[in-house]
Amino acid sequence: MTLKQFLVILSILVLGTVISGCAHVAAWERGHLAKPQMAIDPYPLQNHIQLHNYSSREAAASTHSADGGGGCGCY
Amino acid sequence: MAVRYKKPSNGSHGGSYLIHNKNAFPSQLNKTGGHAKATTCASKTLQALTSAAMVLPGLLLTTAHATEVAGGDRINFQFSRYQEGKRNLFGAPNNFEPIRADVLHGSGIFSLTSRAKFSFSYTQDVWSGATPITTSPLAANPYQSILGNSSSGATVVGASPLINPQGLLLDRDLNPIMQDPVSGQQLGTDTRSVLVLASASPEVRNQANFRLGYEWDDAAIDASAGFSLENDYRSSFGNLGGRMDFNQKLTSVKFGAGYTSSNISAILDHDSAPYLTKTAFSRQIETRGGSEILHGERQDWAANLGLSQVLTQHALIDANLGYTHSSGFLENPYKAMTVIFVDPDVLNDGLSTPVLGDVRALLEQRPNQRNQWAFSTKYIQHITPLDAALHLNYKFTTDDWGINTNTFSANWIQPLPFGWTITPRIRYYSQDRANFYDPFLVSQQNFSSRAFDSLGREIWVNALNPEMEFVRDENFNLLDGEGNPVDESMLNVQPKTIAFDSEKLPDNFSSDHRLAGFGSLSGGFTLSKQFAKGIALEAGFEYYTRASSMKLGGGGGNSFADFDYYVANAALKLNLESLRLPTSGGRIHHHHHHNENDKSGDLPALHHMHNQPAGLMFGHMLDKAGEFMVGYRFMYSRSAGNLLHGTKAAHDQLIVDQGCSDTALCRFAPTYMDMKMHMLDIMYAPTKWLNLMVMPQFMDMEMNLRELDGRPPPVPDVHEHTGIAGHTTGIIGDTNISALIKLYEIPGHRIHAGIGVNAPTGKTDLQLRRIAKIDGGSIHFGMQLGSGTWDFVPSLTYTGEHNRWSWGAQVNGVKRMENRNESGYRLGDIFQATTWGGFDLTNWLTASIRGVYTIQDSIHGDFNSFNARIGPMDFPVNYGGQFWNVGFGVNAMIPGGRFSGNHFGFEWLQPVSTDVNGFQLDRKGALAASWSYRF
Repeated sequence: MTLKQFLVILSILVLGTVISGCAHVAAWERGHLAKPQMAIDPYPLQNHIQLHNYSSREAAASTHSADGGGGCGCY
Repeated sequence: MAVRYKKPSNGSHGGSYLIHNKNAFPSQLNKTGGHAKATTCASKTLQALTSAAMVLPGLLLTTAHATEVAGGDRINFQFSRYQEGKRNLFGAPNNFEPIRADVLHGSGIFSLTSRAKFSFSYTQDVWSGATPITTSPLAANPYQSILGNSSSGATVVGASPLINPQGLLLDRDLNPIMQDPVSGQQLGTDTRSVLVLASASPEVRNQANFRLGYEWDDAAIDASAGFSLENDYRSSFGNLGGRMDFNQKLTSVKFGAGYTSSNISAILDHDSAPYLTKTAFSRQIETRGGSEILHGERQDWAANLGLSQVLTQHALIDANLGYTHSSGFLENPYKAMTVIFVDPDVLNDGLSTPVLGDVRALLEQRPNQRNQWAFSTKYIQHITPLDAALHLNYKFTTDDWGINTNTFSANWIQPLPFGWTITPRIRYYSQDRANFYDPFLVSQQNFSSRAFDSLGREIWVNALNPEMEFVRDENFNLLDGEGNPVDESMLNVQPKTIAFDSEKLPDNFSSDHRLAGFGSLSGGFTLSKQFAKGIALEAGFEYYTRASSMKLGGGGGNSFADFDYYVANAALKLNLESLRLPTSGGRIHHHHHHNENDKSGDLPALHHMHNQPAGLMFGHMLDKAGEFMVGYRFMYSRSAGNLLHGTKAAHDQLIVDQGCSDTALCRFAPTYMDMKMHMLDIMYAPTKWLNLMVMPQFMDMEMNLRELDGRPPPVPDVHEHTGIAGHTTGIIGDTNISALIKLYEIPGHRIHAGIGVNAPTGKTDLQLRRIAKIDGGSIHFGMQLGSGTWDFVPSLTYTGEHNRWSWGAQVNGVKRMENRNESGYRLGDIFQATTWGGFDLTNWLTASIRGVYTIQDSIHGDFNSFNARIGPMDFPVNYGGQFWNVGFGVNAMIPGGRFSGNHFGFEWLQPVSTDVNGFQLDRKGALAASWSYRF
């Protein structure tokens, strides 16, 4: 897959969310969304460990490598 | 997040739910005020505001780090273990320990103002075990024993060279031919490959991160920096990130950029270095102390952009795009590519008999640039009938090394009664191979060949000065460039050889199986329990299996590299804001806001109980039934300088002659030893007179050795573990479980007893790695992580106080309850007496002075496994002694403000007198630092 295909996917996604965003959810209707299980990263501590393990065993890039760190993983 | 709600009582619009404690969100209420939709009902407005405020943290959570910026002040501890299964070596003797990595993590986030937050995290990991260094054709028999000649004939002197010096037979299509290892009979072609493993002794990595964040009503920024340190790899990093909310916070845009700079200085494995061809990196290799060190640098630039969007009352979506540009030394310095060199003249001689391949291992060569793109998306749906949440993730990444990856995962988060939550999850991952990955290469050229001059004569060179070239005449006389005879006796004349032409090899090659095509499937669950008072426990387990056959769109053809692992982890999370709040019963704990006018009925001595020297253990009790304390204690001690014999410094010759044994004189001695210990202190008071404590200990130790003057000379051809590069161990130590019992109490005076055990959770069978095919044997007693025995740990403490003065005394001991541990020895018993006095400098700061006397017996028994016995630290008699210390300490209790109720203590223990058993390194001192919080 090329960068161009990427951007196409991204723009579809952005467009999709913006359109769906039109379905307005008022502040007092967000009770379910505010629950801990609905958090985007509900287990950040564990998630961090998992990502570290995956990245030392797999070649995939990360979407948050801007966070830095991680060391060599030279094993 | 420890924000707790009651469920909506009627399932209709959100105004119907309540928050346990509205005071938890004063700052958020203010911040979100501008977004409130006007409603007629005042109470409804408040609820709307709070709900708008509460939805915020959910949308803030973009990455593991960003979460630390959202929500209240808190502290987290986590331990995790990664354990791999054994690799498949196709029948080769596999006595290698698989890779294990233990990770200890602590992090905290604190509000500086209502909008600014500071967070830090510290991670320490220790890994050990055998790791693949290259892949070889199985037919090349990389694990065969090496035979050596001795007076009694051929004996096995070692095993597992990197490559087989006898070479490998190939058929005319260059397929490897398997031979019977004994008879040499050809068994037919065999194209299987096998991983070549090499073991490593424990290695420690330390990482620290610091972050500052600032929030506006509709936006946030944060900046962070940190470093990661290993012996062979150092990196530092920084990043900037932010978030902007639109559309009444239904939409959030996130962005970040980061930079990482890394320095590699890898000590090439003694075992494999002689077999490795390193010419491509010769300019980056430095030779120091007999070791070859490969140097490199790399830079990573990264950027990410993300979007979170609320779709409905029950669903939201999160999408992220990441780009990473890496440049510099992107190789793994410990990985090599097996290259089989075949003589093209033999290959093209028109016959059909097998040809002999010359098996070599070349350090891997990756491109020095990499551009990676990653796109991930997550859909989160609330399942209202079960109040559960379904998380669906998909990630695609691509890079200019040819690796495309796809990841699918799903989590089901199911809240249960009584604060429990269970989260099963499953993940599938698949990647394509890098375009320069191969298990091994075949090159149609000679690894090295004789050099001939223009007349077809073999060229000879002087090994002492390779610029000097010679030829020989028909009588084997040496001639120089002008044809004049040369006297050979002063020269070291060798045939001149020409190395292989690296242009005939691919530009880049790697056999690292992480760059191969494969798929993986993993699954696991997380169990969490939210207790009252803002404490949460979390435990997780995951099993992961990698299989080349699971690759999307067909097998990767590298099933020899398949493996599995599991990860288990446990975490303790404290929400400081919840701890500070009154409990739901409305009873407010005042004890951490103690002041002169406090009439709550606490004994006046209470204040001082908090302010004992930081190095003192079992020194205080909690006063209220139901009270908790969580603490963290760090201890550092250093031994260095002279080697003492009793109380006096011993010179090297004395150590050589008397420090070890009559049969084996000492050859090495330690130059320094550092020990760092992290202890978690968890205490609970079921009643006023009984407290229960659990103290897990985590430690890492480092020791460096030197050769003693006057040591016996080394035996030729026997490699010694010089330890000059240092060696380390970690991470789990023993675990103390104790009960404290109040015996006597009048105002100003109290006595309590402690009864506890040390559970032998620390290892005592750590080994030095094999070097140069020689087992290192058990690592020194003092570097083992625990006692290995169940130990009885009693103590008796008296404390008193009057006005601004406080004082106390304690006796404690450690009695080993078993004769020997699994490794064959037991540590000496310990008795300690200490007394101290303190003075309140202000109402929140106390200074203390303390005297400590310790006596410890020497070690009984000895290792029941091989131990190299190279110096005094390997002999049981050289442990224990009598030690006197003076401690200088300060203690602070934060009396008010945001950090109110936190206790900090520091103590420096200065050795005053030391009388060691046998020969031991002198002590330089110890530092204790503690933090604790009661609730």
